[in-house]
Amino acid sequence: MQLFMQTLVGGIGFGAVYALVGMGFTIVYRTMGLVNFAHGQIAMIGAFLSATFFLDTKLPFAVAAIMSMAATAVVGLVIEGILRPLEARDFDLMLIGTLGFGVVLEAVATRIWGATGRAVPAPVDRPLQVFGIIIRTYDLVVIGVGAVAAVAVWVLLNRTKAGAAMQAVAMDRDAATSVGIRVGRSNAMAFALGAGLAALAGTLAAPLLYVTPSLGSSLGIKGFCAAILGGFGNINGAVIGGLAFGILDGFAAGHFQQYSDTVTFLVFAIAIMVRPTGILGELTVNRA
Amino acid sequence: MTRKAAVTRKAAVTRKAAVTRKAAGLVLIAVLACLLPHQLNVYWVHVADVAVIYGILALGLALTMGAAGQVNLAQVAFFGVGAYGSAILTTHGWPFWVAALVALVAAGLVGLLVSIPALRVQSHYLGIVTLGLSLAFTNLVTNTALTGQADGLNSLVVPPLFGLNLSSDYVYYYVELAALALCLAWAAFVVHTRLGRRLRAMRDDPLAAASIGAEIPYLRITAFVLGAAFGGIAGILYAGLIRYVSPASFSLSSMFFVLAGFIIGGRFSLLGAVGGAVFLVLLREELSNYEAYAQILYGGLVVVIVVFAPTGLVGIVPSITKAIKRRTKAVRDSRSGASDEVQQTRLGAAPYQAVRLTNGGSSTGVADSSAALVVEHLTKRFRGLTALEDVDLLVPAGQIRGIVGPNGSGKTTLFNIISGIYTPTDGTTEVFGFRASRATSYRLARHGVARTFQNLRLFGRLTVRDNVLVALDQSRTVWAWRYFLWPFGVLHADATMRQDADELLSMYGLSDVADSLPGVLSYGSQRRVEIARAMARRPRILLLDEPAAGLNGQEMHQLAEIVRDVRASGVTVVLIEHNMGLVMSLCDQVTVLANGRVIADSTPEVVAYDEAVIAAYLGDSSDDNGSRPAQVNT
Repeated sequence: MQLFMQTLVGGIGFGAVYALVGMGFTIVYRTMGLVNFAHGQIAMIGAFLSATFFLDTKLPFAVAAIMSMAATAVVGLVIEGILRPLEARDFDLMLIGTLGFGVVLEAVATRIWGATGRAVPAPVDRPLQVFGIIIRTYDLVVIGVGAVAAVAVWVLLNRTKAGAAMQAVAMDRDAATSVGIRVGRSNAMAFALGAGLAALAGTLAAPLLYVTPSLGSSLGIKGFCAAILGGFGNINGAVIGGLAFGILDGFAAGHFQQYSDTVTFLVFAIAIMVRPTGILGELTVNRA
Repeated sequence: MTRKAAVTRKAAVTRKAAVTRKAAGLVLIAVLACLLPHQLNVYWVHVADVAVIYGILALGLALTMGAAGQVNLAQVAFFGVGAYGSAILTTHGWPFWVAALVALVAAGLVGLLVSIPALRVQSHYLGIVTLGLSLAFTNLVTNTALTGQADGLNSLVVPPLFGLNLSSDYVYYYVELAALALCLAWAAFVVHTRLGRRLRAMRDDPLAAASIGAEIPYLRITAFVLGAAFGGIAGILYAGLIRYVSPASFSLSSMFFVLAGFIIGGRFSLLGAVGGAVFLVLLREELSNYEAYAQILYGGLVVVIVVFAPTGLVGIVPSITKAIKRRTKAVRDSRSGASDEVQQTRLGAAPYQAVRLTNGGSSTGVADSSAALVVEHLTKRFRGLTALEDVDLLVPAGQIRGIVGPNGSGKTTLFNIISGIYTPTDGTTEVFGFRASRATSYRLARHGVARTFQNLRLFGRLTVRDNVLVALDQSRTVWAWRYFLWPFGVLHADATMRQDADELLSMYGLSDVADSLPGVLSYGSQRRVEIARAMARRPRILLLDEPAAGLNGQEMHQLAEIVRDVRASGVTVVLIEHNMGLVMSLCDQVTVLANGRVIADSTPEVVAYDEAVIAAYLGDSSDDNGSRPAQVNT
């Protein structure tokens, strides 16, 4: 029971990270129709930025995280400009093009920060004991921050004008244009938001993992899996999928140790075969 | 007629010239490839060896992704299975070539396993699933004792081959070159004959491919197995060359590297894919001191190619020459004062010559009393929306049946159910006594159902002739065993099919455009191609979904001729149409749908004055087809 609960909490912690990656990914997909396989690399850049702010500039973790989010959002604006021509392409080309761009980002990060990477200590490391179960405090921080971010995104999309504009663009670009929404600006904002969320995910993941240029591909792939598992293009789905995937990953790591990736991806492949539209169902409709 | 013959001859001559040019180019490349080692030092010969292996690996991608459209990010895992397979078996004392054969089979089997998700998901979903499986493979070999964990397996055996010294990279180069040539030739053979044609049709439009009998699930499996086999061959050669295998060679970055080569070279061209991969390996080696920059370069190149030249470097050359030609022609035309309109003319079909075949059914009415199509109590709901409710329909063999109704009345849904694209919520359909309600589209195609689509669904990257050839192919997917054991049989059958195709094309007035892509044809001609493709199935029942939409008066007249001839050849025709004039003149019986229900089912004359029908067209104010009743009265 002890072990089970610890694994569960740890899994939910990772799940929160995957959910953040998946959410950013989904926002970009929903608003711009861009399937961005370079999203994980954006998270990796966010992780490096916050590690730099936290370890080199000696800023408090929270401040470093916020600064990293802001900086990554700005970087995101540049990236959005570069990826814009990919938006109109079919899914396969988008996939390949953004994969290629991810390789570029990874190489850029290697140039700037080196290939060895760096270890980021957790800002809080005192274990907490709840009902006789020892829990890493940092896991709770990750879960809490993730939950707050999810609520904030929901409010932003559903209770603000800018969010409504983003959703309108997602539903019908031309109609949105005709009612005076600046599609370009709305898309840029959505991408910046996605990049900011990615940076937050990278920052939160940094103490759990090790920050290297290849952190991006593992975060990206798992975040993308999470988004698909929850229901592609569905923001609630990204949250649920993220948690589910994190828990799956946690238990796979607990039971199969070094083979956890094998087990996780096999289970994921089977889950997708059983239910291709994910837990909540996808929000894209294919017509015959 | 003589003009037409001249045009055909001219086309044949240009085609021949193109083939000769291509053959000359291939010979040139082959000669250069053979001479290459003499210009290189030992180090670069080794690099060339690696490059050829990546070429074969990319060839697998060109089959799975390029020809069959199946996103495959697990190619590097197939590569790994080949390499590790032969490495493990040879270290356990197996003879190299036996080990290689087993490794090849293992790669094929892994390809089969990886293809299973492709039966359920496609596109980016398939991308992430295959990527995940690829990661699973790396994870597995990094941790298993059998594969030497992170250290890998080293001091592998040198492959023995008729006493040749394969530990020399020079000699190995020629062995690899021979393997590449064989692989390339076989891949080209597959892509350009019936199996490949089906794969390409599936890539362009899986729905339409299924409607003409392509067994989509088996084809997807075949695509992965083929790609995996090439990956396996590359892996075996790799183990023989490097004589050391470790997880790093089969990592994600290797996967992106091969993918980049495949995209940069040209994803729809076998030679392009091979060339791109070879080019990237050489480039990487040239920039080996600036690894990060090399990565930025090839990653950036992929983005640029995807945006500006989705068909890769191979596609750029023809489009540049075309642009130059267009420019010089425009200059010439502007000098001679020729108008632009001549250039703007789209290619079209020749006029249809009515044949009025009389074998089988009569040309005037119901041929026999047996039922071609029986629909009973058919209901189809999409979540909350009821598209069809309790629809009954009986079409006797040899009839031309019209189905009319306002937009959204469920006509196309009915066709989609009859042709197996949707399964009904309730009720049954039966085609010539075959229970069709739950059958897949391709099975129904084999039972004589052929259809056209409301929004044209031609295979955009296949020529008009290939579009027809795919449909003419009545064989099952298992027929493809001949590719391994009796390739001449494939070639022979293809030649026969080609004759049939040319006959059919000339019957439909499409001979002159046989080598064009459908996209360059006029809209009316594209509709004609779709009918020709459907008729190539030699169906017993033909479903036409708004065949007259977008046709001009003359084309419409020809359409009527075609439909009458189709029926005269013994085929039952059901058509959805909005043009009442056509329906009135063509159909023996008309069924009217409104809001998913049959509201009238009788002869055209009776239906036109049926009050319920008039009310359905006029009464629904939200329907914008207010002008239609005027046509009813004509």
